Amino acid sequence: MGDVVGLVRTHSSGEDIKEAVGKVLDLIDFKPKEPIRSVDIKVNLCYYWHASTGYTTDPRIVGGIIDCLRERYGKDIRFRIVEADGTAMRTKYAFLMLGYEELAKRKNVELFNLSQDEIREEKVCVNGREIAFQIPQSLLKSDLFINVPKLKIMRETKITCALKNIYGCIAYPRKIIYHSILNEAIVGINKILRPNLTIVDGIVALGRCPIKLCLIMASKDAFSIDWIASQIMGFNPSKVKFLKIAIKEKLGNLSGIEIRGEEDIDFFRRLFPKENFFSSKTWWTLQFRALTLYKKISGDILPPFLERN
Amino acid sequence: MNVGVIGLGHMGMLHLMNCRHIDGVKVTAAADTSKAALKRAESFGVKNLFTDYHDLLNGYPKVNAVIISLPNFLHFESVKSALESGIDVFVEKPLAVSVKEGREIAKLVEKSGRKLMVGHCMRFIEAAEKLKAALDEGRIGDLEVVTLEQILNGPFAHGAVPTPVPEWWFDPQKTGGGVLLDLGYHMIDLFRFFVGEESKVLFSWFEHKFNLPMEDGAILVLKSCKSNVRGIINVGWFQKSVFPEYNFRMILHGCAGYISSDNLVPKNIYLHAIKEGAKNILRKIIGKKIEPLSYSYYYEAYYKELRQFFDCIKWDCDTPVSAVDGLKTLEIIEEAYQNFDKNHAYGGFG
Repeated sequence: MGDVVGLVRTHSSGEDIKEAVGKVLDLIDFKPKEPIRSVDIKVNLCYYWHASTGYTTDPRIVGGIIDCLRERYGKDIRFRIVEADGTAMRTKYAFLMLGYEELAKRKNVELFNLSQDEIREEKVCVNGREIAFQIPQSLLKSDLFINVPKLKIMRETKITCALKNIYGCIAYPRKIIYHSILNEAIVGINKILRPNLTIVDGIVALGRCPIKLCLIMASKDAFSIDWIASQIMGFNPSKVKFLKIAIKEKLGNLSGIEIRGEEDIDFFRRLFPKENFFSSKTWWTLQFRALTLYKKISGDILPPFLERN
Repeated sequence: MNVGVIGLGHMGMLHLMNCRHIDGVKVTAAADTSKAALKRAESFGVKNLFTDYHDLLNGYPKVNAVIISLPNFLHFESVKSALESGIDVFVEKPLAVSVKEGREIAKLVEKSGRKLMVGHCMRFIEAAEKLKAALDEGRIGDLEVVTLEQILNGPFAHGAVPTPVPEWWFDPQKTGGGVLLDLGYHMIDLFRFFVGEESKVLFSWFEHKFNLPMEDGAILVLKSCKSNVRGIINVGWFQKSVFPEYNFRMILHGCAGYISSDNLVPKNIYLHAIKEGAKNILRKIIGKKIEPLSYSYYYEAYYKELRQFFDCIKWDCDTPVSAVDGLKTLEIIEEAYQNFDKNHAYGGFG
């Protein structure tokens, strides 16, 4: 079953984020099983790019979530902000550079690198293909697992939001090994790790350029979020490959998806800087293919940082 | 001429590839701690491979020159060892991580009689050469102000194949400084290149947007000591760079007018690449030498600087960027850091 997706507008200055988070949780009737002792918040820190680029989760929204939950469910909740190392990104530096160390001190919460967790390999079958993942075990133990993705486009998968952010929980840093089966891998990891709540950071969203969309979305169902998010980003969700696979694999269901709050998603769709040819995967692939071919014919040099070996 | 390449990261590999297009130069040896990097060098026909660069310096067949592309903190020791072994040196910028080290290198160069060139590649960008020529021809009258800007992702740039940023970039003891020693070093050198006289620091300001122990944003105001030309330098590591865009500009303001690199660099980098690429293919077809990296505009400077280094060895003349040039740049950087610290200590700024 799909679920309710709440949409709330906030201010780009971040002053009213806590209130906006509270409002969006009310819209989706979020009532967690109490008592809540531990909360894990999975952010998206894909690389050392500032939140204003639209690539990484804004620490202000994480601060707003912590404040809101403490106010509602108790000051003693133990929070962890979690992320795993990426192929090029090291979590310890991302936490430092993107303002999370400062946030952790201010809010008295823990920063945790999932790549250093107790790891167990788990296998799932997606589209008839078996995929193995290294799963950080502590994620399965928290009372509340919150996914805080970005709203952004991605050349490889068209969109990246709730389901793709869970892919970032894979403990093995060289996630590039999954890139040839990225759509299946996104669905596969979501079969194992199921967040209780997704709150999307759309304060600054990322299309072909960043945009202050000032949007916060939430749902208890990650698939429902992605279905709506892809429409905001100008894509037909039924043409987003991993969403199609998710339906086939019964990870997502269209029935029951309902928008509450800012129901006019056309308003956000009009603002969103949609993908064009020059921000598409086709253009990038063409550029690199042309360069490689030119190198082969002429015997010229391709600077090593542009090589795709 | 037998050449050794020490350090096979992106820059070292680029230099190695460039050498293959320079007549009379053969890379016979390479050193790196990474076995994968050495294997890569071997695929380019490099026969003698070492995991310790000292073995390269003392190895056989003896190399006439080395290209050093090691992390900043290893420049001093490796340059010193090469000069003491009687080998000419091309060292990536910065010359060293401190004025003290830079001075010692300059002394060693003088004592050894060997050639040393520092990789101040920005001087070799066509736009910089054109600006300098226009200035020398008097087209803008007396030079009054030079504005230099370079804002990129620096060491945090995301390559086509994602690889982690080397750990040493996060350690200020190993980098020797932040963006000022990285991109600012080039801009200071360009100021010196245009003005051609001693300069001092009027103002320096540093920012830490990414909470790193070294600065990721720097603004500097310089003044030349004789003709009072002011230099405004603005550098940063804070911007997500998108290939093939290159956020770099130079403006020379004179009494008779101004010239900007924005008017000299290709308006459309894609058209430029197609045009230059086609020329190279044609050269290849008719059996002429290609002009390496001309399609990329900015990267061509790396080839040009290296070619000049080998020409200087061949013709026994002074290198266009000497150890003293590297040292003078380091002196300005150290002065800028001290200036900022002093003003902070006295509560002058911030």
